Amino acid sequence: MTYGIRLLVSGPFACFTRPEMKVERVSYDVMTPSAARGILEAIHWKPAIRWVIDEIHVLKPIRFRSIRRNEVGHKASARNAKTAMNRGDLSGLALLVDEDRQQRASTILVDVAYVIAAHFEMTEKAGPQDNEGKHLDMFNRRARNGQCFHQPCLGTREFDARFRLIDLDEPIPEPDTSAHTAELGYGTPRDLGFMLFDIDHQAKGRPSLFFRAMLQNGVVKVPPLGSPEILR
Amino acid sequence: MTILQSLARAYERIPDAPPPGFATQKIGLVIGLNADGTIATVSDLREAQGKKKVARQMSVPAPVKRTVAILPNTFWDKTSYALGVTAGSGKRTVQEHQAFVDHHRKLIGATDDPGLLAFLRFLDLWQPEMYEAHFSEDLRDENVVFALEDERLQNIHLHDRPAALKILNTADTEGGGQICLISGKRAPFARLHPAIKGVWGGQSSGGSIVSFNLDAFESYGHEQGENAPVSESAAEAYAGALNHFLQKDSGHRVQIGDASTVFWAEADDTQMAALSEKIFGAMVGGADTKASAAEEEAAAKRVGIVLEKIRAGQALKDVEPKLGDGVRFYVLGLAPNAARISVRFWLAESFGELAKNYGRYSADMHIAPPDPHGTPALWQYLSETAVLGKRENVPPNLAGEWTRSILTGTPYPLTLLNTVLMRIRSDGIINARRASMLKAVLVRNFRMEKEAPVALDPDNRNKGYLLGRLFAAYEHAQTGALGRGVNATIKDKFYGAASAQPRKVFALLEAGSANHLSKIGKVRPGQRIHMERTIGGIMDLMDPNSDPFPATLSATEQALFGLGYYHQRNAFFATKEIPSEETSTDA
Repeated sequence: MTYGIRLLVSGPFACFTRPEMKVERVSYDVMTPSAARGILEAIHWKPAIRWVIDEIHVLKPIRFRSIRRNEVGHKASARNAKTAMNRGDLSGLALLVDEDRQQRASTILVDVAYVIAAHFEMTEKAGPQDNEGKHLDMFNRRARNGQCFHQPCLGTREFDARFRLIDLDEPIPEPDTSAHTAELGYGTPRDLGFMLFDIDHQAKGRPSLFFRAMLQNGVVKVPPLGSPEILR
Repeated sequence: MTILQSLARAYERIPDAPPPGFATQKIGLVIGLNADGTIATVSDLREAQGKKKVARQMSVPAPVKRTVAILPNTFWDKTSYALGVTAGSGKRTVQEHQAFVDHHRKLIGATDDPGLLAFLRFLDLWQPEMYEAHFSEDLRDENVVFALEDERLQNIHLHDRPAALKILNTADTEGGGQICLISGKRAPFARLHPAIKGVWGGQSSGGSIVSFNLDAFESYGHEQGENAPVSESAAEAYAGALNHFLQKDSGHRVQIGDASTVFWAEADDTQMAALSEKIFGAMVGGADTKASAAEEEAAAKRVGIVLEKIRAGQALKDVEPKLGDGVRFYVLGLAPNAARISVRFWLAESFGELAKNYGRYSADMHIAPPDPHGTPALWQYLSETAVLGKRENVPPNLAGEWTRSILTGTPYPLTLLNTVLMRIRSDGIINARRASMLKAVLVRNFRMEKEAPVALDPDNRNKGYLLGRLFAAYEHAQTGALGRGVNATIKDKFYGAASAQPRKVFALLEAGSANHLSKIGKVRPGQRIHMERTIGGIMDLMDPNSDPFPATLSATEQALFGLGYYHQRNAFFATKEIPSEETSTDA
């Protein structure tokens, strides 16, 4: 029995930053599974469930634009905060945003729309009061009403995602026939190279997991966690 | 395929690529050593190129990445490290040389290889004070390699010896294994990536595409290269390929505004790959005028023919079938940001698709009368958007965005329209290049094929276009009346206002033109009638129900104003030329 859901997400901009080009950001061509998971978790998530992304459908042609933005150069230091606590004094703790500027170029995606096909699994944290039907209902109700814990985003916080639930009896939207190009993998599958699958937060050192993404007829099939296609 | 993967793949195709663990560096001199460690010869490897002496490119063990710390290279280095001598103030040369000596003593250890023994003996014997006895002054700070004297002439250097290779291969294998995001295999990751040199406007020591030089860029407690695990060999491969392409005259780079653009082709047929690279170079970089040898000339001719056909709108598979299908083409635009390098655009496409998009761009840019200097290259168009026409004044980001839209066939950036309008308003020059840029944006972004014609369209009723024509007519009347010696013509004075706020100035211009026409009439009555007819003809086309001189014109109408002005002005010149030609043929 599957508890599949399909969610349409879209937005004017998106940036699914590649790890190798995350300073002068360059986006992946297509939404990553971890970004899709983040969107679903923004709508409904409890420790009892774990989202598993099955497919990502690309509905619009892949278009890029580059912009420059001023961003902050440093993180607030945890160590400084600790010493300030011990000292009982806040001096020197501030991070002055306008005095610590870094101009960074970003090559981002414009005008994107995806359908995320996913299901969830129950985790060991599920109690006796948790069951699949309950969480599926909760997700469907919340997504239909446009409810979310925080506004889901397309890769980075500044690019918000608009979402709509696609009911099970509704067909998945297709890209325009004009977009049925080799770029979206129509005809021959398009190799997108190694793509970030997720971060393995359980393992020591929190390594990144990668998989070889193929775009075929506008769809990226995401292998399940634990399959040999996920490189770890 | 990602950018780095494609580059790493391209590296395998570079014919004289250095082996893994090696990199191509500029080497100034080679020291020939005797077996007892004394210096036998010192040979200068530099070649004179004009006034400058240029060091030779040589494959040597990959350099370390130096920032502030003293870090020696292996078996080669600049003189301050290798010999303890520098041309500068040299505050640290003693430590640097000591680090070089210690590094090699530790690395080589006990050996019985005659080459390495001689090298160790040399390091023991050498004192920086001995420099002047062996070396000329201008060799300071060049990179030095070593060789055994009896092997030097066979071009075998110390780092080429089997014993040295063995040491190099066993060193540097520490570091935890991670999945490499280029090769997908588990391998020690590169903490710092090799520097990319030759990006225009970047630091001379090179920059990095993959770098994490501030803590805001790091995630999940990962440090430096661990944020994006790339194996050492893959990092060397992509950087090696990029550095190779970025070299001057590599045939793989063009400068488009602030974007240093590299391109390469991938095909089973290497000849076709080379041809497509040449064609692309000519597309964006302009014709290569340096071709001299007969063979090159023939190749250039072939490129020119193909290019003409693409510009005429023919599909590449009809012109050169092999080029259209079998060649995959990669274009990468890079721009520096201090020590980092950012990617402006990236394209991996079949060459046929690329040629098709280029053909569309050529059609968009087509204008009559054309530029007198032949088809301008992309950078020549971009210079028109820059203050004083200087390349460094091209608005940042415009070059990259425009190139991307040309190559992918998407709408042009609207900043192009605004920038050109702004340049015209401030320096008052409207030439074929600017007019064709205006037209291209109108045609592609606003779908105004009808309103923005290639050549003068006497029936076009767009008010911007008509006002532009009218303005050109008034200017022509002024030139006719007062000659070319006028200090500030009405174009110099009023173009900006006339194109943006016609109501403010057109009444004034109309009044002025009456004086000009009457003055022409006194000398050349025929021309006066001709002028009046032209002006009347333009006025007749204006919509009687709306204000002929609106308060403001939108950006697209301003662009049409510029186009109308360009067409009408050149029409005046053309009509002048025809009678003179007739008289010459009659005579």
